[in-house]
Amino acid sequence: MEENYNPVYKDKSYGQYRELSYSYQDGGKFEKTVGFHDETDRLVLQQAWDLFRERIEDARQRVLAGKASPVVYYMEKNLLDPLNLSMMAGISLWRVKWHFKPNVFKRLSAKTLQKYAEAFNITIDQLKKVD
Amino acid sequence: MEIKKTIIDYTHRQAGHCESGATSNLFKFNGFEISEPMAFGVGNGLFFTYIPFLKIQFAPMISFRNLPNTVFKRSTGYMGIDATVVKKIKDPREAMEMLDRNLERGIPTGCQVGVFQLTFFPPEYRMHYNMHNLVVFGKEGNMYHVSDTVMEFPQLITYDDLLRVRYAKGTFAPQGKMYWINHVIDKQVDLKPAIILAIKKTVNDMIGIPFPLIGVAGLRWLARDIKKWPGKHGNDKASFYLGQVLRMAEDFGTGGAGFRFIYGAFLKEAGELFNNHQGLLEASDMMGHTANKWREFTYMGARNCKNRSKPEEDYGTLSERLLEIADKEKMVYQKLKNLRF
Repeated sequence: MEENYNPVYKDKSYGQYRELSYSYQDGGKFEKTVGFHDETDRLVLQQAWDLFRERIEDARQRVLAGKASPVVYYMEKNLLDPLNLSMMAGISLWRVKWHFKPNVFKRLSAKTLQKYAEAFNITIDQLKKVD
Repeated sequence: MEIKKTIIDYTHRQAGHCESGATSNLFKFNGFEISEPMAFGVGNGLFFTYIPFLKIQFAPMISFRNLPNTVFKRSTGYMGIDATVVKKIKDPREAMEMLDRNLERGIPTGCQVGVFQLTFFPPEYRMHYNMHNLVVFGKEGNMYHVSDTVMEFPQLITYDDLLRVRYAKGTFAPQGKMYWINHVIDKQVDLKPAIILAIKKTVNDMIGIPFPLIGVAGLRWLARDIKKWPGKHGNDKASFYLGQVLRMAEDFGTGGAGFRFIYGAFLKEAGELFNNHQGLLEASDMMGHTANKWREFTYMGARNCKNRSKPEEDYGTLSERLLEIADKEKMVYQKLKNLRF
């Protein structure tokens, strides 16, 4: 499989699998083809991932500068928004937003931290710092 | 200790759309050959909704498909096949035990899962999308053999990982939903009444519901909104929102152009089944052309996404294109509505 990688991606961890897509020719023929992403797919996926990476990096800088709590960083890293995070962790929305403040985060109980850790699928020690 | 091994002889076929692919594979396992487009069409897969106030992955929600599990439920219902759908299982351990019992009895079982933590899934598609479907067909020690129709080959997944994705949280949480077909289909299944019912239902979904965010009306609403995005949100965000539309249409297992190709293929197959029914074949041709228009639209849109700050294509042109597509689609549905079988 190794030499079979998709040449349009610079990053080899992306676009390494083939998907099935349909097309239509004049004369009433629907065709199935199995192949890598085409140009359109690549552009829109690249755009989305660029944006997500920007957001993650931005959150990381804010946490390191002490302006936000690590919850923000892990939320962005898991591509969540506050509403989704509140659903996943089982903590109400306004409390989740309250925990974005670094000072509030320092005083959180072990039980709440455990809820966040489970939602992010990491340990509590990892949750307390950013990587 | 000897490793317990139960693997069911199940054929994995790659498909464009996860659920209709799984449905068609399950039908084939039970002795009834049905293609993916047919399963998709009979199961009422086609839909359109645009919900601007609900954000998925930071952009407005757009869906080209029906609610999860509609395809399986409707297609078995219309054809009169004995199938079981377990909607919600509270205890995750119990859900996994139920799955194991099914495997021991030799029943491949479909499960609704979340995509984000699915280990074998391509990394570029790992988003919080909980409406994915896969079929579990074997267990070997701690590993499960699963057939995910988006992938080219069957995959392996561990017990813990499978449990986690089956209980992914968020919007449309799967809650351990599973489904399977109970009996081998030995009687002759007549597809014709099922097809007629399914087409009527789809036509009603697309043009019959008097609510502006569903069906063709929703498509028009989206077209009018696209024009407003750059002024309202700025170029960067507008291009990201547009990207979301395109990603929903082209990627995420749609078979391309927001299922329109698959639906066209279904109409063609249905037309051949009805002894070359002229109306259905014409509708299929129109659907194919609409799908090609969709592909042109996504291609134009993608060039916009390439250069975010200086869009090459005017959003007004894109909006006009989409309105044109909406008109064309409406003509297809009206044609289907007036068909006599």
